[in-house]
Amino acid sequence: MEPDENAMEVRHLRKSFGVLKAVDGIDFELKQGEFLTVFGPNGAGKTTLIKILCGLTQPTSGTAKIAGFDVTEGNVEMRKEIGVISHATALYADLTPVENLMFFARMHGLSQPEEKAMKVIDEVGLSQRRNDRVRTFSRGMLQRLSIARAILHDPTILFLDEPFTGLDIHASNVLKEHLKRLHNRRRTILMTTHDISCGLEMCDKVALQVQGKFAFMENIADVNRDQFESMYFDAVRDNQFVMEIGS
Amino acid sequence: MNLYFNQIAAIVWKDFVTELKTRELLSAMFIFALLVILIFIFSINLSIVKASEVGPGVLWVAFLFAGTIGLNRSFMLEKENGCLMGLMLVPADRTTIYFGKLISNFIFLSIMELFILPLFMIFFNIEILEYLGPLLMVIFLGTLGFCALGTLLSSLSSNLKTREIMLPILLYPLLIPIVIGVVRMTGQLLEGVPLLDMMKWVGLTASFDIIYIGVSIMTIDHILEE
Repeated sequence: MEPDENAMEVRHLRKSFGVLKAVDGIDFELKQGEFLTVFGPNGAGKTTLIKILCGLTQPTSGTAKIAGFDVTEGNVEMRKEIGVISHATALYADLTPVENLMFFARMHGLSQPEEKAMKVIDEVGLSQRRNDRVRTFSRGMLQRLSIARAILHDPTILFLDEPFTGLDIHASNVLKEHLKRLHNRRRTILMTTHDISCGLEMCDKVALQVQGKFAFMENIADVNRDQFESMYFDAVRDNQFVMEIGS
Repeated sequence: MNLYFNQIAAIVWKDFVTELKTRELLSAMFIFALLVILIFIFSINLSIVKASEVGPGVLWVAFLFAGTIGLNRSFMLEKENGCLMGLMLVPADRTTIYFGKLISNFIFLSIMELFILPLFMIFFNIEILEYLGPLLMVIFLGTLGFCALGTLLSSLSSNLKTREIMLPILLYPLLIPIVIGVVRMTGQLLEGVPLLDMMKWVGLTASFDIIYIGVSIMTIDHILEE
């Protein structure tokens, strides 16, 4: 990726599932090193947006470029630039952290996979449990290992889909520290979350996604926190109302 | 190209380490295949029916039904915790996932078959040692075709709620040419016909193996995509 190139460029992005518009004309761009937090009620299309941007699902229309690569082309080079953390940990429950990360290091074609695995395990503070089966881990430890998996190949862009879900306050703080460290290393980050304080604390830009659209997007410096919170809660309440009417 | 083979090897390694730790797959397949053979043994009167006539059918029913358990488990392992998504995000051609799973399935199924074969020989009182080479060749061809198609269809059915039902429904009809070929060849081998005299069947089975692998390479990208 060129130094002055945008890390993400999304234009008129749409994704429909039958009559349901999960993503409905989203436009935005992120420069390298920027951190965008996307809030939105359940069913707003946040996960679908991330799935499109990391090439897991095809958009119905519109374009998205990640690290200069068109996401619709399924480019292998693009996947070298991205790391993804989602609700699902993408970790094999019967393998140890070392085995899991060695496997992903080999899949990424990294040299010295064991050393790389040990290094990131140490970075996320799981050295003591590196030889235990992942199945025995708590949610917080799984999420930390999931971060280790996502940053193993040192990606320039990170997608985080509700990473704070199910974490206690300690695990949440640990995760926050990791994210801050990654942000300081000029990693471009797009995170979806329902956690207002975590989401607003770390980001450079904030967006509110409602029924597939970005109803709001601003630099964090220009956002009045109280107004944003009230707008977010209204969106969640209205969405709940729409869902109840719909059902 | 080295990276491509390394990625395939990594998937096979991961499946082996998992199986060594859990021992779920091989034991389940072996017990199931053994039960199938035992049920047939108790239901067939071998003093009336020739073992070489019914044996091949029983053997392949045991292999295929037990193999279906393995195939179902194969992509279930990848669906657990969203591991398949993790695999889709690595910078690898999607055919590496297919070939990695195909090789794992093939090796696990072959190991199970190697344990079942002597038991089959004992229960049916069939002397197979003198045809062992050609018989292993036939088993290789049948197992390869079964795994080639089964791996593709298990990746397809893994996204369905009714995956355990859908896999056999999709798999068995498409597998008929291979099943006919290998059952015929196994039967003739047990009657002392040399493999060289059944090259038509060898050709048919090998052709379907190649067709299934070819179709899988062409379609796996679309099948794995949501």
